[in-house]
Amino acid sequence: MTEPIEAGQRHQRKDIVDKVTGRARYTCDLEVAGMAYARLARSKVAHGTLKNVDTSAARALPGVICVVTAKDFEHLDMYYGESVLDQPFLAVDRVRYIGEPIAGVVAETQAIADEAAELVTLEVEELPILADAAQAMTSTTLIHPERPVDPELANVCNRAVFAYGDVDQALEDAVYVHEATYTFPALYHYAMEPHSCLAEWTTEGLEMWSSTQQPHKVRADLARMFRTPHNNVRVRVPFVGGGYGSKGQAKYEPVTAAMALVAQRPVRLVNSINESFHTVTRHAAVVTMKTGIDADGKIIARDSQVIYDTGAYADKGPRVARKGAYRSAGPYSIPHTRSVGIAVYSNRVPAGAFRGFSTPQVVWAGESAVDEIARHLGMSPLEYRKRYLTERGKPLLGDDAPMDADLPQGLQMAADAIGWNEPRRAGRGRGLGSGVKDGGGGAARVEAEVHLHRDGSIEVVASTIELGQGPQTAFAQIAADGLCARFDDVKVRAVDTWGQRFDPGTNASRSTISVGSAVYDAACQVYLQVCDAAEQVIGTSERLRLEGPDVVAGDQRKPLVEILAEMRGLQPDWLGSVFATGVQDSTKGDGPLGYTSSFYEVGHSAVEVEVDPETGVLTLVKCASVADVGFAVNPTSVEGQDEGSTVMGIGHSLYEELEFNGPELINPSLVDYRVPRAEDLPREFHTVLLENRDGPGPFGSKGAGEGGTLAIAPAIANALEDATGLRIRDLPLTPERVWRALQNERAEQQDES
Amino acid sequence: METEFTLNGSAVVVDAPAHELLIDSLRERMRLTGTKRSCDVEICGACTVLRDGQAISSCTTLTADVEGTDVVTVEGLAAGEELHPVQQAFVDHSAAQCGFCTPGMVLSVVALGIDFPDADEEKIKEYLSSTICRCTGYAKIVEAAQQALEQM
Repeated sequence: MTEPIEAGQRHQRKDIVDKVTGRARYTCDLEVAGMAYARLARSKVAHGTLKNVDTSAARALPGVICVVTAKDFEHLDMYYGESVLDQPFLAVDRVRYIGEPIAGVVAETQAIADEAAELVTLEVEELPILADAAQAMTSTTLIHPERPVDPELANVCNRAVFAYGDVDQALEDAVYVHEATYTFPALYHYAMEPHSCLAEWTTEGLEMWSSTQQPHKVRADLARMFRTPHNNVRVRVPFVGGGYGSKGQAKYEPVTAAMALVAQRPVRLVNSINESFHTVTRHAAVVTMKTGIDADGKIIARDSQVIYDTGAYADKGPRVARKGAYRSAGPYSIPHTRSVGIAVYSNRVPAGAFRGFSTPQVVWAGESAVDEIARHLGMSPLEYRKRYLTERGKPLLGDDAPMDADLPQGLQMAADAIGWNEPRRAGRGRGLGSGVKDGGGGAARVEAEVHLHRDGSIEVVASTIELGQGPQTAFAQIAADGLCARFDDVKVRAVDTWGQRFDPGTNASRSTISVGSAVYDAACQVYLQVCDAAEQVIGTSERLRLEGPDVVAGDQRKPLVEILAEMRGLQPDWLGSVFATGVQDSTKGDGPLGYTSSFYEVGHSAVEVEVDPETGVLTLVKCASVADVGFAVNPTSVEGQDEGSTVMGIGHSLYEELEFNGPELINPSLVDYRVPRAEDLPREFHTVLLENRDGPGPFGSKGAGEGGTLAIAPAIANALEDATGLRIRDLPLTPERVWRALQNERAEQQDES
Repeated sequence: METEFTLNGSAVVVDAPAHELLIDSLRERMRLTGTKRSCDVEICGACTVLRDGQAISSCTTLTADVEGTDVVTVEGLAAGEELHPVQQAFVDHSAAQCGFCTPGMVLSVVALGIDFPDADEEKIKEYLSSTICRCTGYAKIVEAAQQALEQM
């Protein structure tokens, strides 16, 4: 690999002019001729056996084209999910949460569809309601009676266990055992574009436009469910208005395709934000952690159990439980560990993937616990962590890939950025946290194409979705360097599964290292072809580079089109492009997760907080995030990703929580669900990129964009304790929660005096 | 009912039911899809447009209520290929990621420049808190707003 020239530059985003002018088209903006409009009728009952869905009033409304229920699709496979296919696209024989789709209405206008959906009524024989995981685990009622039975608990969707060494003995041998339970609330992604799809059946098959992060997975799901081959399904993805995990696997694509099939019209379904609130969430979690310390202060044992409330359907819950269990042992090298992750069904909105994927929950516990331990031992939380963080070259757990980052270095940089050792003002406190998650991009074969047209312009064909993270720009930079070409001459095509290259999905910070490597591979192959042609035609390929239409090598400069025409003996007009397919083929390996981690995504957070004792308001005075990204292909984009990730983490640290009354989500609106606003920015906000060129991607890059969410919450809680002596183990740290804790502490102190 | 107003510099007449929302007239009738629908409750600002230079949420404004006013959407800001200074500042600071909030955010900064041309950083953050961005963490948006205010 040569040294980067275009990669590493702060190039302007390829899509930004479209975005600032309103020209960028999202799925919710699309129209096709003859298009009809859809709305789903949803269950108002949390749990029950479905007796009848009455659609007569809805059908009678003028302008309604059709109203469909599960009965219309008995010839299809109605179920989807990531590994557990337990979710029907319309309720079949049971409803399992409030907001579950029960019927689909297609009408001539959106207003008619909306009105008709309200007219659908449901006859249900109610079943006992399991309002959350705690209730479901001990109930005799089963939400999915067809699922395998767990030996210990009811309604288990998945149980994952990782065990190394002898944790029971080590906890017995420990001179100090810290044990605590930490809770993490359910959260909503709030991707600002609600889930949107547009489906049309033609003689060629199914045309689907969708705001999805996983078009190839969606294609496979649709092909299986509609019993049609992959080449009959085409999924195209325009700009996507945010994802953060909420738009992975099939969501509303199957029901939209089903409605289009019956309506015999193109059908567009644009959900409301209220409906997206009722689609997928981040798992609420209860983490119980026991940590054993030896006489030297070393962490010798950790026994953790994480209960994830996965809601009514599995979605990605089984993998969340597995990954969360795995990650609960880090980021320290602990010889004796037992990590149990359990995803439990309940009658809540399903939970699935969300930026950080299971990790913020366990890092919340782990990094709070380590801080408590350091304080107990009378050690600096910074020095204590630096001593025991997993060393470079050692695996995070078991025989997984060796740590590819210098964790103490990154943490020190975060501490330095907020002036860790400077004197602090009264009423203020400082806190730290380090989070590590095994990154995505392993165990897959992904492909990308690079085409060099005869006029010297370059096209990259790859299946990474632009969700805001900027792959069109990053891939253009990578391809330009593989080709020794100019960034401005490269374009990256929008994603279309028809004829495009495979990629499992845009998630887990995987795209730069996996798809980016395939792009680089393809670009290098094309470069070698051009070198070969240049040697034949102009006699040299010395320091060959592409400058727009020209090939420049040695002291020669000649238009590419002339070189190709001469070499191939063809008229210029009859020349195709020079192209290649690049592949990134990661072998599976056999780490604890069933494959070897491709890289480790690392986020270090350091904060200084100020607490108002009268109101409980916690202000972020300083905040630093260190993103250990190996190499930033576009530093501006990477900073933006980390800033967004950190602020999203500030959201779940201080404000965000889905609230339930029994099984009913009671704040499915931006009025009541408070996401961070500009005024919530920390007064001093530092984003630091750590670039040791130690990742597996192009030029030593690693994934980025999730790290900021991992450790910010414990860093803030640790700073809160530093400022006030209060330890709070439940999120979010709202003024009320902080104020009540302060009041309780005052009351206890008064009792003692 | 008919509503007459100026839209991006041109006189228009919209014939729509009295209860029609401005966002629907813009997106569905005029095909101006730059104005985005998100929260539906006047919190997120994705549907922001300017009415006589004031930022309003088109998701909670009746079309009838723009009668006789001057409405500007994101499509009306640039002069041909020449971007408005606020748009250029967003480009220069890479102040967009997924871009869904961007039209509303750009128009909010234009309104900020009209209401508080001398706004400092704190005022900018306070003013822009009526427009949500879930991607960027706002840092680059605030930088863009600072540049835009200097140039407007």
